[in-house]
Amino acid sequence: MITIDNICMNNVLLASASEVFETMIFMDLEQCFDTEQQIKDDTLLSSITFKGDLDGCLTICCSSDCAKSIGINMLGMDPEENISLEDTYDALGEVANMVMGSIKTKIQQNTANISVSIPMVVSGKNIVTNLSDSSAIKTLVKVTIDSQYIAEFCLLYKHNTL
Amino acid sequence: MAKSLMIIDDSATMRKIIMRTMRMSGLEFDQPQEAGNGKEALEKLSNGPVDIVLCDINMPEMNGMEFVKKAREMSSCADTKIIMVSTESAQDLIDSVIADGANGFINKPFTPEKFQEKLSPFMN
Repeated sequence: MITIDNICMNNVLLASASEVFETMIFMDLEQCFDTEQQIKDDTLLSSITFKGDLDGCLTICCSSDCAKSIGINMLGMDPEENISLEDTYDALGEVANMVMGSIKTKIQQNTANISVSIPMVVSGKNIVTNLSDSSAIKTLVKVTIDSQYIAEFCLLYKHNTL
Repeated sequence: MAKSLMIIDDSATMRKIIMRTMRMSGLEFDQPQEAGNGKEALEKLSNGPVDIVLCDINMPEMNGMEFVKKAREMSSCADTKIIMVSTESAQDLIDSVIADGANGFINKPFTPEKFQEKLSPFMN
């Protein structure tokens, strides 16, 4: 069975997120080790599932203000402009799609194949991501975006033995 | 002379990002047509071909792989250059879609320089 250790996946997740934020969103992303800092207020969660040699999902969780800022940057809008809720959701879905694509590229030398779903975005408060399978491995990377926002990138996965 | 362009992606945000990146690349295009999936794109192309199509792979209704096969069955699209723009990066998938008739492949995330590199050969 092909295995990927959690430290490796942590690095892959952070590198993939950094690549997308640098290339497509033009915002600074840095890993945050401060456990006191939490995502506050209304939260958006973008998720994308994958299956194959690894089964699981990638989620990106951030405040709605952070998501709006990401959308505004991605679309090259004026920072003072209003971005629609639809565009905000769509932008955050695309971030998950691109980060997952970058992860897939980086790990496909070690795993034969995974196929990826279309992303979805939900909103709420105190959102927690879990797989029903308790054997799933959870890799969580907390980051600051432009030194202003907190976001969490979470990769939940298990090795498929079938 | 500016080339005609169609962007196929199920994300309206991604279509806007591609348009912005195309402008940043310095390549000259007419105002692009847009489609949310392969089926919608084929309907629009039946009204008249375009010079270049930028096409996502993972889309609902009709994905990019199927679109390429169908577009290549249309005699009016024989000269249309189809460039896939996708997060997919498996070499066998890229080889497969090129064999089906795509003319190039750009990975997401992308840069204006990448668009220029991949599209410049088709601008003359």
